[in-house]
Amino acid sequence: MNWRDFRIWGLAPAWVIMALTLVLPIGIVVLVSLSIRGAYGGFDWGLSFDSYAKILFEEDWDGNLAFTPQYLAIIGRTLWLAGLTTLICAALALPAAYVIAQAPARWKAVLVYLVTLPFWVSMIVRVYAWIIILGNDGVIEKTLRGLGLVADMDSLLFTNGAMLTGLVYSYIPLMILPVFASIEKLDPALIEASHDLYGSRWVTARRVILPLTLPGLMAGAVLVFVPCLGAVLEPILLGGGKVMLMGNLIQTQFGGGRNWPFGAAIAVTLMGLVMIFLMLNALRARREVSHA
Amino acid sequence: MTMRILLTSALLALPAAAQAEGVLNLYIWSDSISPELIAKFESETGIKVNVDGFNSNEDLLTKLQAGASGYDLVTPSQHFLKIMADEGLLEDIDAHDLAAYQAVDEKWRGQWWDETNEYSIPLAFGTAGFTVNRDQYKGPVDSWAAFFEPGEDLKGKIASLSYPDEVVGAAQLYLGVPFCSEDSAEMKRVYDLLAAQKPFVAAYTSDNIENRIGGGEVAMHFWWDGNSMKTRANDGAPIEYAMPKEGLVGWLDSFVVPKGAANVENAKKFIDFMSTVENATAQYNFYGHSAPVKIDTASAKYTPENAPELFPTVKVEFSRACSPAAQDLVTKVWTQLLQ
Repeated sequence: MNWRDFRIWGLAPAWVIMALTLVLPIGIVVLVSLSIRGAYGGFDWGLSFDSYAKILFEEDWDGNLAFTPQYLAIIGRTLWLAGLTTLICAALALPAAYVIAQAPARWKAVLVYLVTLPFWVSMIVRVYAWIIILGNDGVIEKTLRGLGLVADMDSLLFTNGAMLTGLVYSYIPLMILPVFASIEKLDPALIEASHDLYGSRWVTARRVILPLTLPGLMAGAVLVFVPCLGAVLEPILLGGGKVMLMGNLIQTQFGGGRNWPFGAAIAVTLMGLVMIFLMLNALRARREVSHA
Repeated sequence: MTMRILLTSALLALPAAAQAEGVLNLYIWSDSISPELIAKFESETGIKVNVDGFNSNEDLLTKLQAGASGYDLVTPSQHFLKIMADEGLLEDIDAHDLAAYQAVDEKWRGQWWDETNEYSIPLAFGTAGFTVNRDQYKGPVDSWAAFFEPGEDLKGKIASLSYPDEVVGAAQLYLGVPFCSEDSAEMKRVYDLLAAQKPFVAAYTSDNIENRIGGGEVAMHFWWDGNSMKTRANDGAPIEYAMPKEGLVGWLDSFVVPKGAANVENAKKFIDFMSTVENATAQYNFYGHSAPVKIDTASAKYTPENAPELFPTVKVEFSRACSPAAQDLVTKVWTQLLQ
């Protein structure tokens, strides 16, 4: 046994785990998406691209095969909401992370701990908490009424805003942490240098702080955007189930719709979108390295 | 098929330890069986009972189709029971030979979902319809029109369920479209009705219904008979379960044993246990849905006088197992509604 061999087969456990937990399940989903649906759910092995065609073309109410925008609308809405959530998270996380990074050392640990605190509670409980906050006679409504600001208001719950709030709340810690890490590494001398060179606060923020924290922001964007694409709870519990996102669409097809191959095809499409996003991000990172 | 075997062998390895004598794994509608009865069964037989809950027939079907579920006894509704039996997902337990079978009301024997009574013993039945909060809505409730074609003042004051199964059925009753219709023109009418109702709907949601309708957050909610009755009778909510002249959507849940269950004999014991007059009565008093087996009417908590919800005065039409073509139309209605 020599060292070079060990470098190859020493990684075998990692490869086995990757194959069993990542490659195999994804392979099964891809195969299911190409299979033939069973009459009452389930599937039979086969090779058919019908499920992918169905995303774009479906029989209309008159029985003619026609272009159907409904699944694209759901995909588009999912991308839009995930993107908006990422932007809002970034806008809120940057100042929050900055404050944490500037805090005295003994406070820093406490603040970082507080950011991660919600993860100790189950996701469904955290989303339910927002039902209580936003609901009729909820905390917000009672407060506004108590202050005499509003007499009678429309419900905040079961709106797109509620859904967005829930998504931002759920995923913002995943943005704060990497941004905090990159701000902490920021050399204060660079900020001083910018001021010495007559850079205003705004110019300093835009041309010094932002570019230097960009890697953290991009890492956070990936961590927020990707799980948002698969969100299921928020649209149902906070959005009132009035519109579907891709996660709900996949659930419907595997459940009541009894069309597993189509559900799998949408899941593969979702995965494809995630891969495109990750690859664009990786390309950008590489470009940055070559610039530096 | 290979995948099912793969999954099965992978999953079988896990609950192998639990196959030892004295275990029963239940997968039932959430909170549908009296915990006191389960405790009583455990102390009488020494069998350890594990209970998991589901909230939709679809969840149950998907789980059984995915391969060995590890459950010994599950409680699907009639149309899903039919699909499971046809798909070979159920164990033939010769239900007609069980002591419990003698307790089953004559009219629930030999039904289309289990014609020869091989697979199932019924547990509870009831209807799906809509409930109104009388503080919020004073109008008539003798037709589905009140729910599907509400007046302007009910904008944002109606709630429906988060899956199509019974909601589409109710819309079909109202429009006179047969259940499981494969006629896309007919189903387009169902879609149009639901789409026109959507601006009035605050939420399509199947949980936390008690609070939403009982507290008056919405004026009308799609709901089940027994749940509506219990919220009115036990919590004093000012609600009324409608008896629409077009009819109500019927359901009946039964005990069945999934194919390959590890503890079939314990499952049979539990079915017999639940079907004795004493226990069936206790279950009826707990669950608040009608009992398809013999109960002691003298100690039954709910009667036609104090629980009219359970004794419909209009026709009840039971959901059926739809063909793939019909199911696709239902899914299409729902997806377009929520697109």
